[in-house]
Amino acid sequence: MTPRWRVWLIGILAIAVIIAGIYFPILKKHLRQTKQAPAVSEEQARRELTQTAPANTGGPVTKAKLFWSSGAGDGSLMPVSVELPLSKDPTLRAKQVLNTLLAGPVDAELRTLPPDAVLLALYLLPDGTAIADFSEALATSTPSGIESEQMAVDSISKTLEANVAQVRWLKILIHGQEVDTLAGHLDLTRTFLVNAKAAPMIAAAPSANSANVGWSADAATNGKATPVAPPRKAAAIARKLTPAIPPGKLTQPAN
Amino acid sequence: MLDPAHGGTDLGARGTGGIRESEIVLQFAAQVRTALESMSFQVMDTRQGNENPSFDDRSAIVNAQRGAVFVSLHVASTGLPGTVRVYVMSDLPGVTDATGLIPWERAQGPFVPLSRRFGDIVQGFLAQRFKGSPRTAQPAAVRQLRTTAAPAIAVEVSSVSVEDRNALDRMAPGVADAIARGASAFRPLYVVAAVNPGDRP
Repeated sequence: MTPRWRVWLIGILAIAVIIAGIYFPILKKHLRQTKQAPAVSEEQARRELTQTAPANTGGPVTKAKLFWSSGAGDGSLMPVSVELPLSKDPTLRAKQVLNTLLAGPVDAELRTLPPDAVLLALYLLPDGTAIADFSEALATSTPSGIESEQMAVDSISKTLEANVAQVRWLKILIHGQEVDTLAGHLDLTRTFLVNAKAAPMIAAAPSANSANVGWSADAATNGKATPVAPPRKAAAIARKLTPAIPPGKLTQPAN
Repeated sequence: MLDPAHGGTDLGARGTGGIRESEIVLQFAAQVRTALESMSFQVMDTRQGNENPSFDDRSAIVNAQRGAVFVSLHVASTGLPGTVRVYVMSDLPGVTDATGLIPWERAQGPFVPLSRRFGDIVQGFLAQRFKGSPRTAQPAAVRQLRTTAAPAIAVEVSSVSVEDRNALDRMAPGVADAIARGASAFRPLYVVAAVNPGDRP
């Protein structure tokens, strides 16, 4: 190698060292920032992909009423007004309000649903039954207990009642499946009454399964759901403490 | 019939201080048993150790008894510490199928009014002892109650979030006394229909 080439080579190497010297601290800083960023869970990542952005619906901005915890510690809920561009389509509208409910209030202490839970799908049947399919996090991350589980279902039910006039019933699925309980206590095999006076979608009677069971949220004054007014038969029974007819024998449990 | 909820691998609610619902309810059940027996009640349990019978297994035990009342014991994850709530099944109309049998899945149906009355009585006694507790029983779709063919309530104590487990232990005698007093006050109201001579036992 001639002395001239040697000078060139040394010069190029020196320039490379200077560039590396400048770039290395930047790279180090970038790595440190990446490490400090909160880890995004699989559920959160899925939510980002599946959630409908409220701003994309094109609907006028209206005040939605969302029900989160009142903070009283007694299981009661409190309505909070949130401005959202709500869609006129009841299914989209229901998705919007439930996704906003899942996103949580400003004060995280007032959440009623786990932060990792995702609304995977929502269907609105012609009889007004909303089938809400949530990710497994709703079951695994809701605090176990009758009060906390009821509060979770109440918040969904009352939020739908306040914002989507067409929803009459609510059925909750976990990852596409019917499950026995939410987190060990609250029965999710049943359909919950959201609004007995729901606006009709089409003339169709509720299914036999859902017609007799549920909670009514409209009589609640403290945010708690109450049982539906007893139908004819139950109202008659309510006057007596002992059933007039002996209950008889039970069928075997279904396996 | 006392039902300490959960058990086995199902620990129920868990507190940060290592408090487990499945263990606490066993201790509560022991005290409730003592209080009830002192009032001449015959007491049975759905579990006595660390096992976890299914919802239906627990219901099967009580449904085989005549004139029983069912008390399911729970400790919440949330709620005002030091309060106790009684839950009864929200409306579930009593129905029979074509054969005249009560569907197992709706066994609580005919007993809802009785359960509500029993729950209100017990909650009334609890409210006297534990400030901040509601005055009447709350309706809730508790899975365990749905398949129970007897007046049935769920009693939930708040909560596993207490830092000191002794705080819960100190509540046990009061809870036991309120349940026993409630059962005693309810007894005259609960008239079990007489069995016809022709009926099978």
